[in-house]
Amino acid sequence: MDAPFYKFGLFGENTSLLVAFVIGLGFGFFLERAGFGSGNKLARQFYFRDMAVLKVMFTAIVTAMLGVYWLSRIGFLDLSQVYLVPTHLWAQGVGGLILGVGFVVGGYCPGTSVVAAATGRVDAMIYMLGMFAGMVAVGFAMPSLEGFMNSASYGQVTLATQWNISYGVLVALVVLMAAGAFLASEWAEVKTGSQVRATQPLLGVKGLSRSRKLVLGFIALGLFAAMAGNPYRGPDVQVRTQELTQMVSREADHVTVEDLANRLIAGTDVPRLVDLREPEAFARYHLPGAENLPMAKLAMADWRADETVLIYSGADQHAAQAWVLLKSRKLPRVYTVEGGIDAWNDRVLFPRLSESPQPNELDAVNKKIAVSKHFGGTPRGGTAEVKDAPMPLPPAPVEVPAGGEPVKKKAKKEGC
Amino acid sequence: MNQPTHEPRPYMNPYFAGLGLGLVLLTAFVTMGRGLGGSSAFAAAAGALVTSVAPDTAQTNSYWAGFLHGNPFKEWLVFQVLGVFVGGLVSGLLANRVKLVVERGPRFTLVKRLAFAFVGGGIMAFGAKLASGCTSGQALTGGSLLNLGSWAFMMAMFGGAYGAAWFLRKQWI
Repeated sequence: MDAPFYKFGLFGENTSLLVAFVIGLGFGFFLERAGFGSGNKLARQFYFRDMAVLKVMFTAIVTAMLGVYWLSRIGFLDLSQVYLVPTHLWAQGVGGLILGVGFVVGGYCPGTSVVAAATGRVDAMIYMLGMFAGMVAVGFAMPSLEGFMNSASYGQVTLATQWNISYGVLVALVVLMAAGAFLASEWAEVKTGSQVRATQPLLGVKGLSRSRKLVLGFIALGLFAAMAGNPYRGPDVQVRTQELTQMVSREADHVTVEDLANRLIAGTDVPRLVDLREPEAFARYHLPGAENLPMAKLAMADWRADETVLIYSGADQHAAQAWVLLKSRKLPRVYTVEGGIDAWNDRVLFPRLSESPQPNELDAVNKKIAVSKHFGGTPRGGTAEVKDAPMPLPPAPVEVPAGGEPVKKKAKKEGC
Repeated sequence: MNQPTHEPRPYMNPYFAGLGLGLVLLTAFVTMGRGLGGSSAFAAAAGALVTSVAPDTAQTNSYWAGFLHGNPFKEWLVFQVLGVFVGGLVSGLLANRVKLVVERGPRFTLVKRLAFAFVGGGIMAFGAKLASGCTSGQALTGGSLLNLGSWAFMMAMFGGAYGAAWFLRKQWI
């Protein structure tokens, strides 16, 4: 299983809205638990009387940062798939300043105002109205601010990239900085004579309190991160040898031409068919509905993780080679057509029929004939004709409507 | 809403509330590949209002025009904010903290406080729009992803708040 689940197609957009609601539940719950439904408590942060905003914010940042780092480091989370808001330094700097002022004037930030309103704070309800009005007003000004919004644009960039230091080292530095900020906060609370002290503070207690254990745990995970390096996945491939070898030995890596023919006739479960041969061979003949993608262009093609892809080639090994390459790009549903175009010719288009089929084989023989005709081929009878000169290839397939006239039981095999 | 005999419970240890919040944020990253948001729901609501009341005006404004054809990302955050409301309410009820009050310092009048709340919300909208996010979307989400702009935002936000705090001290302390 790969995360982020949504990006890897584990659930769709409707489910994502439910997920949004559930995540919001947790978000709101913990904001309220922390006391952020109270404007007084929030505002006291800025008078050094109650540093809960800073403590909660930095604990949350450190928790999520360590989680993201370690889940990516063990290969579960694909960090490149987690959305980074592009950096526009001027807009974010000035916006941050204004937002900070708004915080102290209004008493809330947007998320906390919702929690405060939910728990009956009338000022938060008014604040939300103000914010709504502000959004309407700002919207009309936005087009004229576009130039400013896009100045000092750095794109999607982390501090690690910008400063050219290891992601893991940066994680450790942030953890240490947060731990320092926690201690400074508690010291400030003591200095301002704040009555609101953490129930289990870091300072002024004996032994390993829960809070101390938590912060020490953060520091340990952070220091390990400094040594564990890059959380991003390899460039774009990952070969899982064990998984692939088992698929091959279970024969779960291919479909037979007969199975493919049935699927094409039925018109259901029709996979994306990719012909890996050169364009000339493709032009002479190809499987119905196939697209041409010569081996050399394989890496440039677009693949979707949720589609079923059948690849085939001629007598060469290109299909098998392409299968390994595509599997390494983590496409779960890629299969080869066993035997490729040759098997298709031999067993579907021009099947060899036994001279004197037993009565119990008649159904199978008739089916072969029907299938062969469906795709514009001709069954061959008798072993004598095996040594035939090159087989005439039928023209590029026309879309033959499925289920032609039923073949009579007596309609025996015919010569080539 | 709650029984008056029940005292409000003390707030949670901030470090563990932060741990819970961080795990929620991590869940958002793991399930969706995106983080939390607060201000976007307000922007989406404003967009819905303007595009439905004055669709012609919205056409002529490149910002509002973006709301004319719906935006799933914004809708996602709207659902999240609905969750925030319910989650906050549940927590508040469990701790006997749901109460109709106006939060203000002892020296500040009620009317002034409500006026400041309205103006503060408006200022916040402007800041959040400029910064493409607020405390949730930038500071928490971007902060934990070590996003360059989000850290710049966070520093500026604390700077702005501490800078303004002295002038507004009558409101709070």
